[in-house]
Amino acid sequence: MKAKKKSIATVAVMVLLIAGLSLFCWFKPQNAFSDSERRALAKFPGLDFSEVLSGDFMSDFETYTQDQFPLRDLFRRIKAYAVLGAFQQKDNGDLYIADGYASKLEFPLNRDMLSYAADRFEFIRKTYLEGTGSKIYLSIVPDKNYFLAGPNGYPSMDYEELVETMKEHMDYATYIDIFPLLSLEDYYYTDTHWRQEAILDVAEALAKGMNAELTDTDYTVNTLQSPFYGVYYGQSALPLAPDTLKYLTSKTLADCILTSYNTGEPVVKDIYDMGAATGRDPYEMFMAGSDALLVVENPSAKTDKELILFRDSFSSSLSPLLVSAYSKITIVDIRYIPSKDLGTYIDFHGQDVLFLYSTMLLNNSSAFK
Amino acid sequence: MLFSSIPFLYYFLPVVLLLYFAVPKNFKNGILLIASLFFYAWGEPRNVIFMIISILCGYGCGLLIEKFRQRKGLSRLFLTLSVLICLGMLAYFKYVDFFIDNFNAVTGLSVPLLRIALPIGISFYTFQILSYTVDVYRGNVPAQRNLVTLATYIALFPQLIAGPIVRYSTVAAQLESRTHSVDKVAEGFRRFVMGLAKKILIANALGELCDIFRASDDKSVLFYWLYVLAYSIHIYFDFSGYSDMAIGLGKIFGLDFLENFNYPFISRSITEFWRRWHMSLGSWFRDYLYIPLGGNRVSTAGWLRNIFIVWLLTGFWHGAAWTFIIWGLYFALFLVLEKFWLGKFLKKYQFLSHVYVLFLVGISFIIFNAADMPQAFSDMGGLFGAGGIPLVSAEALYYLRSYAVILLLGIIGSTPLPKQLALRLEESKTGSKVLTVLEPLVLVVLMIVMTAFLVDGSFNPFLYFRF
Repeated sequence: MKAKKKSIATVAVMVLLIAGLSLFCWFKPQNAFSDSERRALAKFPGLDFSEVLSGDFMSDFETYTQDQFPLRDLFRRIKAYAVLGAFQQKDNGDLYIADGYASKLEFPLNRDMLSYAADRFEFIRKTYLEGTGSKIYLSIVPDKNYFLAGPNGYPSMDYEELVETMKEHMDYATYIDIFPLLSLEDYYYTDTHWRQEAILDVAEALAKGMNAELTDTDYTVNTLQSPFYGVYYGQSALPLAPDTLKYLTSKTLADCILTSYNTGEPVVKDIYDMGAATGRDPYEMFMAGSDALLVVENPSAKTDKELILFRDSFSSSLSPLLVSAYSKITIVDIRYIPSKDLGTYIDFHGQDVLFLYSTMLLNNSSAFK
Repeated sequence: MLFSSIPFLYYFLPVVLLLYFAVPKNFKNGILLIASLFFYAWGEPRNVIFMIISILCGYGCGLLIEKFRQRKGLSRLFLTLSVLICLGMLAYFKYVDFFIDNFNAVTGLSVPLLRIALPIGISFYTFQILSYTVDVYRGNVPAQRNLVTLATYIALFPQLIAGPIVRYSTVAAQLESRTHSVDKVAEGFRRFVMGLAKKILIANALGELCDIFRASDDKSVLFYWLYVLAYSIHIYFDFSGYSDMAIGLGKIFGLDFLENFNYPFISRSITEFWRRWHMSLGSWFRDYLYIPLGGNRVSTAGWLRNIFIVWLLTGFWHGAAWTFIIWGLYFALFLVLEKFWLGKFLKKYQFLSHVYVLFLVGISFIIFNAADMPQAFSDMGGLFGAGGIPLVSAEALYYLRSYAVILLLGIIGSTPLPKQLALRLEESKTGSKVLTVLEPLVLVVLMIVMTAFLVDGSFNPFLYFRF
């Protein structure tokens, strides 16, 4: 009798679960975007005979069912708990939490990627900088793992080798070491990036390294009212406490004019985009986010020195802090603009040139154009 | 379509279950057949035609073999025709490039490879059709006159693409008439969920670890041993998990398939291991090749020849590469050694015999998973520090710690211990009461957790799909 009851209970719960989730899957409206993962979700694939025959429809359909699964975020959280909690795995899809910080494993050192990055920089030097009298500088931003991985038993890349390799490849550049100025506390808990209010010393060291002088360091610290959920918050699927995003303003910065050439045409933008601050990725508020080509003009500059900054997203929050040392900073992201086209937009005439890249990007430089 | 996928669990399966249990008895096979063809076409839209040809060939030859049973020559002719068509298709799709490649290597010619995509499950359904026509020829079973019934047997989606190799004789009666009960459906769900858990929670995780090992530049002796352990558990949980799911689904639809695994890692000899590992394949080769060759009722030389033929083909069945052939012959070697000498020794030393089996099986899986023999030798050397690799590396230690719980669960799950505990619990009064509540609850929790893994798009290939 007990066996019968157990069988009935087993069949009942299984049928209820499968039928319930199936109906939910079939009739749930499609979502276009996942805020937590910061990506567009797959839509129902178009039903085309050739796509069916090739099997593409089926694989697209599977992606669609995963992306559009009801309560997707909740299920992702359950998986994260199972992996990190029940199975005691050290990371979930390379993401790990240690000392309250979320980070992503970044190892081993990819020497090919370093060579590729160095090749791209060499192309820029040879094509645009040779004979212009530009002074070239290199600085490297350690990612969070530099401080977090080792002490918590996580593998990390050989940072020393990375720096030495880049210095070797770029023997034409003066290296400015900012590693000793940084610590784990200078980074967001839930995001990849460093906190702007914590890197004043980095800006000062860079300016000093380039023989420039920061003339206005009288900043007001502003705090964003809304919580900042960094990129690892959504990726980890765990209920991490949000960060507080702060940004620095000054009189000099208020006078500066930021022009974006993202579309080829000049568009004046705000140094801090308050619209983006309440958007999907609040870090995008710094210096127009990930625009390919930006120019900051400083009308109150006490110098006519100019800087060309080749950068990744770490520079978005750093570059406003360098503004007072220059009359003009040209900010270039060669992930979004081909290096061969730079001459069309930039007049290279002996400006200081700084290559400022994070270890993460140098180790994954395939996006450099 | 993978069992461990959202489209199967929450689109295909509920619709099939609904239709299957809604239609009258006479239409149930028809529903299963349509569902099976759809299931196959979902993964292999172009190759469904070859499966249909194989089914028609098996059906026609079966009828003709029976019709001309009194005329031995004709009966044998149709059996030969069935064997030639089935094995011909298998040889063409699975082995033609292997033969061309080796022909080129021997002759120095460069005949271009055909690069034909292997139809999923062809090795399994070919063997099922062969077993059917041979059994009809032997008079063990009557030929099936109903094409739908025979096609349902061959194309049956639960075991279509990764086994177990179900003999027609096993399910012939059930295909005609079968009973359904709540107990059987419950048992089916239980078995299916456990198989799914073996696949998603253990096999997939350890498969990832094996991929990490292969991609790593930071190899060490520890990492090689970790790889052997992880791969051994991975392949067992992947394959036996699939068999559990197939057996479970069969039960839900009222069909009883034979077991395919019986805790192979607790074996004390390689002979015993192969009585417990992929049992449906082992018994197929025994009944349709080894015994017809004369089995052990021949001279010692003839018996040795039979053993090596069977194991060469067992290896070759797994894949068109020298690694698989060597893998099969490797087992043949130890089976022969055990028969002549080693067997007596192993019976005396219980602990040593377990170590012996686990070590040899681990080495066999190195060969099995290697891209080629140089890689296999390199992996074997790595276990003993060849090439001057360090004993321990930071990466190996990290992954050992990270996968320790899963490895432990895999090790425990490879033994009969969990089953014995559950049985003991069921035998006691209180335990039985607890299980009545706990079992459905555990199944639901497992389903939710596994759904979570699928939603998050984790690593999910099925190993035996390539066979």
